[in-house]
Amino acid sequence: MENAVKRAQPIIGVDLSRLNSSGEQPALGERTLAMETRGLSLYYGDKQALDGIDIVIPERQVTAFIGPSGCGKSTLLRCFNRMNDLIDGCRIEGEVLLGGEDIYLPSVDPAELRRRVGMVFQKPNPFPKSVYENVAYGLRLQGIKKRRVLDETVEWSLRAAALWDEVKDRLHDSAFGLSGGQQQRLVIARAIAVQPQVILLDEPASALDPISTLKIEELINELKTDYTIVIVTHNMQQAARVSDYTAFMYMGDLVEFDLTGTIFTNPAKKQTEDYITGRYG
Amino acid sequence: MDKLHINQHISRKFNQELEAVRSKVMKMGGLVEAQLAGAVAAMSAGDPEAASVVARNDYKVNALEVEIDEECTQILARRQPAASDLRLVMAVIKTITDLERIGDEAERVARMAEFMGGDRFKDTTMSEVEHMGQLVGQMLHDVLDAFARTDVEQAVAVVQADDRVDTKYESLIRQLMTYMAEDPRSIPVVLNILWAARALERIGDRSRNIAEYIIYLVKGKDVRHTSLQTVLEQAGRAD
Repeated sequence: MENAVKRAQPIIGVDLSRLNSSGEQPALGERTLAMETRGLSLYYGDKQALDGIDIVIPERQVTAFIGPSGCGKSTLLRCFNRMNDLIDGCRIEGEVLLGGEDIYLPSVDPAELRRRVGMVFQKPNPFPKSVYENVAYGLRLQGIKKRRVLDETVEWSLRAAALWDEVKDRLHDSAFGLSGGQQQRLVIARAIAVQPQVILLDEPASALDPISTLKIEELINELKTDYTIVIVTHNMQQAARVSDYTAFMYMGDLVEFDLTGTIFTNPAKKQTEDYITGRYG
Repeated sequence: MDKLHINQHISRKFNQELEAVRSKVMKMGGLVEAQLAGAVAAMSAGDPEAASVVARNDYKVNALEVEIDEECTQILARRQPAASDLRLVMAVIKTITDLERIGDEAERVARMAEFMGGDRFKDTTMSEVEHMGQLVGQMLHDVLDAFARTDVEQAVAVVQADDRVDTKYESLIRQLMTYMAEDPRSIPVVLNILWAARALERIGDRSRNIAEYIIYLVKGKDVRHTSLQTVLEQAGRAD
């Protein structure tokens, strides 16, 4: 399966040519896209939560969604690996593309999709198992049994999640013995163990102290070398620190999408300006 | 070397951004130093060609100012620097403003040398102007060095050196006024020399400003518009 499509033409709603390069950043129009939505609307019963969202997620970059509570940013994030399928009365219109292919086609297996698009939640949710078994879990689901492969992947994933040095001597202790920040990095290690293309992070640091938060942010910065990252955060400063692109959402609409440096120094829309300067929201 | 522990943030990217800004300030400082040296040399040698090259190169200094300003804006917007990081960014923003103006003053000296053509005024006067050029050149060099090493002692020495430049400037002015009184035909040339001397004196003031930002950066004390005594007291406090 091809990894992603190259798209030179602007799509509806997001004028890629406007997102010109500043400094070392290439223009978004020149980036390979990992994911993309087209006219994506989502309803919870009668209530519309997303209204015709067109957004692109550039490959191997960090894209942040910001906006006030209830603006639809988490809902949009969950559309990227069909987490909303699990909610009764949830209905979507439009397309969500992964590598150019609509992930809502009946032929797509949600379990395989979620391997390719991993997710990490606000509260660390390690399984009631050892550190080792947490990371190996996805591999075992895939039927991998070879001890050597498991060992190597567990070590590699924990190293990638900047956790190896802290847990290498207690791999077989319960994951619940780790601190909150370590648990969150463990969950990220578990997500990357199955080598996804995209990692979705839903408020990954909001339950953590400032130093653990900075460690997660640094980890995100390192992971983007190999993975595409989409992060939802209530913390605007976190979006400013960690992301390359920022999308501001308000009441189910995508208000503005641009380079993070532009959003935080000279946003195009007054709504964005008001939100990031703390004037409403 | 790294007294401010710039390279110890959890975020490596933040380390890189601060380091990049700091080294660009050094690059800009080096450029301004070369501009000043070039202008003073062209003046001493009575070389209008060399002077014109210096004057034309000022745009490079300006371009660096704009570039560093943009990087500082990004750091403020995206990193919300605090404490010593914040003082560093503030000191950088103010330092490059003064560096850019020093570049302008150097351009002014170069224009003067260009205007004089190959003509030389009285050797005694010219050598005094040159000496002033050397004094402020040394001040600029020392203050950039102090910035690179975040060296408060050296910054204080630059503040002190500015007094010597001011004294030199005043004595030169008295001399030039005498020439103008003695021979009114010399006024156009003397005025030109006076403006060059004035530009050099301003370079001394601006180097002193940068020295004060370094004291602010390291000690967190704002010593602008205070007496030399206060500067010494604030800078002398234990780390």
